Amino acid sequence: MSDLAITAMQTELTRERSAIRSLRLVQTACILVIALVIVSPLLMLVVASLKDDRFQILADMGSFRAFWVSNPTLSNFWEVGNFSGELAFGRYLLNSLFILACTVGAGLVVNSMAGFVLAWGSLRGRALVLSLVIALYVIPQESIIMPLVIMVSRAGMTDSFAVQIVPWVASPLYIFLFYQFFAQLPKELFEAAEIDGASVFRIYRSIFLPLSLPALATVSILMGIESWNQYLWPTLVTQTDYARPIAVAIATFFGQDSIYWDRAMAASVLMMLPILALYLAFQRWFVSSFVGSAVKG
Amino acid sequence: MGKRLLALLAVSTALIAVQAEAKTVIRMMHQGDPGWVSTFGEVAKRFEEANPDVDIELIYAPHDAYNEKFSAAVMAKQMPDIMELDAPFLANYVWSGYLQPIKPLIDKDILEDMTGSNIAQGTYPIDKELYAVGLTDSSVVLYGNRKYLEAIGARIPKGVDDAWTREEFEGYLEKLSKLGGVKWPIDTFRGYGIKTEWITYAYGPILQSAGCDLIDRNTWKSVGTLDSDPCVDALTMMQKWVKNGWVVPQSSGTNQFFAEGHPAALAFGGHWFYAEAAASMKDDVVVMPLPKFGPKGASPNGTWIWGITTASEHPEIAGKFVSFMLKDKELREHAKETSGYPGLKSFAADSPLYAPGGPMAVAFEQASKTAIARPPHPAYPAITSAFMGAVDEIFNGGDVKAALTAAAEKIDEDIEENDGYPPFDEQQ
Repeated sequence: MSDLAITAMQTELTRERSAIRSLRLVQTACILVIALVIVSPLLMLVVASLKDDRFQILADMGSFRAFWVSNPTLSNFWEVGNFSGELAFGRYLLNSLFILACTVGAGLVVNSMAGFVLAWGSLRGRALVLSLVIALYVIPQESIIMPLVIMVSRAGMTDSFAVQIVPWVASPLYIFLFYQFFAQLPKELFEAAEIDGASVFRIYRSIFLPLSLPALATVSILMGIESWNQYLWPTLVTQTDYARPIAVAIATFFGQDSIYWDRAMAASVLMMLPILALYLAFQRWFVSSFVGSAVKG
Repeated sequence: MGKRLLALLAVSTALIAVQAEAKTVIRMMHQGDPGWVSTFGEVAKRFEEANPDVDIELIYAPHDAYNEKFSAAVMAKQMPDIMELDAPFLANYVWSGYLQPIKPLIDKDILEDMTGSNIAQGTYPIDKELYAVGLTDSSVVLYGNRKYLEAIGARIPKGVDDAWTREEFEGYLEKLSKLGGVKWPIDTFRGYGIKTEWITYAYGPILQSAGCDLIDRNTWKSVGTLDSDPCVDALTMMQKWVKNGWVVPQSSGTNQFFAEGHPAALAFGGHWFYAEAAASMKDDVVVMPLPKFGPKGASPNGTWIWGITTASEHPEIAGKFVSFMLKDKELREHAKETSGYPGLKSFAADSPLYAPGGPMAVAFEQASKTAIARPPHPAYPAITSAFMGAVDEIFNGGDVKAALTAAAEKIDEDIEENDGYPPFDEQQ
């Protein structure tokens, strides 16, 4: 190969490398911009929670001062961290955590069992039950909320933790998610365990459940977010402080005549932390579940 | 020993149960910010101390989900004894049979202490009975930035009778639009959004001042009133302000009057806005009456007031608590701290903000001279919803006449569907 050809190839290679470098630079810039757009409201939230003048927070909104705090203070957090009194936000946070833990815990058991039976059980009319489960998914929560209120009040369940947990434990979406995951596992696993004399429950508990970590993580996160963000339902069924969750309590700051941005922001930061921790704890399996679903179609 | 303990436990449990049963429980549904929630809790405690046989149970409902919460309570047959309600919804609640006349249940001195506007907001037009009472009321005034007003040489009205005319007002808007430092001549608080009561509450009086209304208050028909020429003209005027870029857009929030650089020169704001504006601008805030857009001045009124429900098994005790609450010193102090607009004469005399010479005196003057209640009709939820939709369409460039006619037809349809909400239909 002549020197000329080598030089031309090298020039071409350099040009390609430079093009790739430019493309990466553009990609990085785009990612940074997207990240900034996503992170900036959160940053504004945290910054505002460290300011102690609600009028100043309002005056700063819409300018760069919304992202800067000159005299940070934790006073808002102390104010919303009460565990007793008329506005016991610490207690409301614990209430929400309790409701979240019970809903997700019971939800994982109930939905995974239902999904497993639909995938591998010997139930008659499984296909019909599955169709019904899918059909139920399209009914929006809002359309059944009033009949549900009447049902729980007749059952004497209002203003309790149970009323915020029990109606949301079984969900068509999560049953279907588990069904889909279990149905994709090899048939041989089920048959081998059956030959070894394992009961259906034993097969579910000892073989299929340990293999379904990505599905468990996905359902935990989705169910956790859903339970954590419940607003209308607890508003309708809670009366007193006893079982009030933090999402309803935060609405107190958005009054008729004024908004207490300082404490609302601090309470929102506190409300954001547990769900962020839940996501960080399960994100590895959550992502792998989504990637897996995408690959398998 | 074990048996004795068990017996003791059984006896004490029975005693506790008897004690609990002996107490009369009064349930009160309310909304409000943390200050109010805490204040209501303190008042309830003080009442319970003075009346050991009564237990006050407070039921909090978020402001933006209050009606849903109340509807759920009605459906579940769990109505409270006392409820806080937004004054314009009173007619709907009375017509639906949820509220009972309150006059026999409330202390006489409270009733005699009510301002005319307060009585109007709590009165049902059919039987002229009082169904609700409040410590406070509300109004909207025109706030101005002193520096900007001086720069354009604007006349500062001294009282309600001296309010700007439409020509003066629009002339000042034009001058302000050309003044350096002013980004928007006025904030009409579009930032409150189209799903709040703000649009009907604050913009309705512009129509009434211009010589029309949301609905004819004798025939209870909206077509021919809401889409009449004065209303079309008034909303065409407001559409022009928006088209000219004179009004703070919805996306810019509600802080442009006092935000850095003071981009908005005027603010068409509620009495509560004074606290926010004065905290930042101090003496630079000028409080003026609403302009006269036509033959007469008009301003809004009405706020959250207290009613006793028909479901209450102890209406006398509920009334006793409402009277106790409205007289409570600490509650009045809290109302003063939050710029509460007086609905009781004694509270007005004790509120330096609204007393003659006070910075908001003009706002209180409006209550007796120009305040007009929103239509006291059971169809009010439909009226406000249709009007809000029309205003939104108009501000987004829609045809004014067509939007108002559609809204008026929607209101009349609702009334027809409910057979005229008898006996309101007989008023014709």
